[in-house]
Amino acid sequence: MNKPIRIALTKGRLEKDTVGLFEKLGFDCTAVHEKGRKLILPIPDGNMEVVLAKANDVITYVEHGVCDMGVVGKDTIMEMKGKFFELVDLGFGRCKFALATKKGYDFYSGYGVKTIATKYPNVSRHFFEKKGMDTEIIKIEGSVELAPLLELADGIVDIVETGTTLKENGLEVIEDVAPISARLIANTVSLKFRKAEIDRLITLIEENL
Amino acid sequence: MKNYDLITPEGTKDYLFEECIVIRNVENTLVELFRSCGYSEMLTTGLEFYDVFNLNSRYFPQENLYKLTDSKGRLLVMRPDTTMPIARVVATRLRDAMLPLRLFYNQTVYRTEPALKGRSDEIVQTGIELIGSQLKMAELEVISTAVTALKSFGMEFSLEIGNIGIFKELVGRLEVTDKVKERIRRLIETKNFPALNDLLDSLGSNSVTYALKKLPALFGGEEVFEKAEEIMPDEKIKKLLDELREIYNDTDELCGSDGVITVDLGLVNKTDYYTGLIIKGYLQGHGEEVLSGGRYDKLISEFGYDVPAVGFAVNVNAVAKLIEKNGIIPAMPRVDAVVYAEEGFEVAAIKAAQSLREQGLVVENALFSDIATVRHYAIEKKIPKVVVINSEVTE
Repeated sequence: MNKPIRIALTKGRLEKDTVGLFEKLGFDCTAVHEKGRKLILPIPDGNMEVVLAKANDVITYVEHGVCDMGVVGKDTIMEMKGKFFELVDLGFGRCKFALATKKGYDFYSGYGVKTIATKYPNVSRHFFEKKGMDTEIIKIEGSVELAPLLELADGIVDIVETGTTLKENGLEVIEDVAPISARLIANTVSLKFRKAEIDRLITLIEENL
Repeated sequence: MKNYDLITPEGTKDYLFEECIVIRNVENTLVELFRSCGYSEMLTTGLEFYDVFNLNSRYFPQENLYKLTDSKGRLLVMRPDTTMPIARVVATRLRDAMLPLRLFYNQTVYRTEPALKGRSDEIVQTGIELIGSQLKMAELEVISTAVTALKSFGMEFSLEIGNIGIFKELVGRLEVTDKVKERIRRLIETKNFPALNDLLDSLGSNSVTYALKKLPALFGGEEVFEKAEEIMPDEKIKKLLDELREIYNDTDELCGSDGVITVDLGLVNKTDYYTGLIIKGYLQGHGEEVLSGGRYDKLISEFGYDVPAVGFAVNVNAVAKLIEKNGIIPAMPRVDAVVYAEEGFEVAAIKAAQSLREQGLVVENALFSDIATVRHYAIEKKIPKVVVINSEVTE
């Protein structure tokens, strides 16, 4: 089979980290560095092709099998779900989902239904469902930290890296929801049809993590 | 109020012309194949009581079903699957029938898929159920029929087998709650090695957890059995593995020259009512399996009749879409002639058209009032012959 293996990368930081990893494995990533406006870029010596996409789209392309593999954050996987293999924890892009409130606010007190603002409604719903807790979830597109400050929400579920933004706005993490890092995913059929090539790549990656 | 009178619901589509021909060709090929193996057709109801799909083992999550109520307020669903209705019929009207029963079906199923993901809520499934045999021969019959079906599509394919019994035995030896078992199953299904290792490590280190950790990596060809042999903790599980190996070898001998036959011990789908053998068929270029099936020895007993069964279904729409994508589009049947009646000769024209059709031609009646428009129409539609019926019959 001569068709290159097509890998979708999440644009931005994960893309840079993945390209760094590929270079460590000895692949020539010149085309990716000099991409201009191109969205499909060859890595000729690895018989691979890199596709740059937004996180959610990485999952969509891999699910449909138009990309064989993908690199995407666990945050997107948890929010989107979907049918694919989640093969390797790449270790980079580490952060966490956390529940945060205004400093000193007693979130779990009382019997009132709490309101949660988040960019990740599925992750939030699942988290509180497991606790058997009814919550009202409001989807926010921009800075979620605003919602408790404007008193729209009692708390937020969001990605936390250093916690600086929270601190500067008088918020604090009261509970971790889940750890996050970049994952290597694969289409369920591609893994079967191209087992030897994908196995080789994974072994190489695991040796270099 | 907004009217939705010009579009179809999310997840559905109308099929036109060539698309229909491709779909019907796939269906006909499969139906002929199944008939030639002695299978008889069943048409089950499009509407079923919800209870049929809400057995103890809850194979279908309720959020994936199209629901409505009957005139008495009872909950109905649009059939999401044909195997369970067939199990219902076998356990009732066919209870006294001689076994084995060879049944096939060719009908639409409805499931709600996540919106805006490019998936269909309405798909045609064509498949077989072989009921009443526990023999290896029954499994080989179903597998070889599946391979013939895949081969008939004229594309590169692979057929994969597994045995969910191995997973069920292994996980049954762990003293954990059903919730944890389900988490293990989900991690094996998604081949999520890092999380699977973490979870199993927390349950202790023994031969069972070791085997479970390795399960999702055990896929490929014959070599899988060598590796699996070494890690299976006891004789009962080894026996399941040996049975699968025999089936693999027989299948490879039967069909290995037609396409790739592989094995995956990590096939552990949730909605499966399967108890042993699992079959999946893949076509190069489609991101999901186009054929799936297996052995389900406990399903019919949930309807009160304890009888083993094995079968598979093909996702006809997926196959048809791939055939179109690969450009293997069949020619539309062409019209051979158009018959034009001059005023007062309509009856004669219809008779003439009928007699031409009896000769095997495809014939249209002209629906224009002057011959010039008919000739123009024939040229536009590439119809080679215009027949004019008047006092003297001419062509």
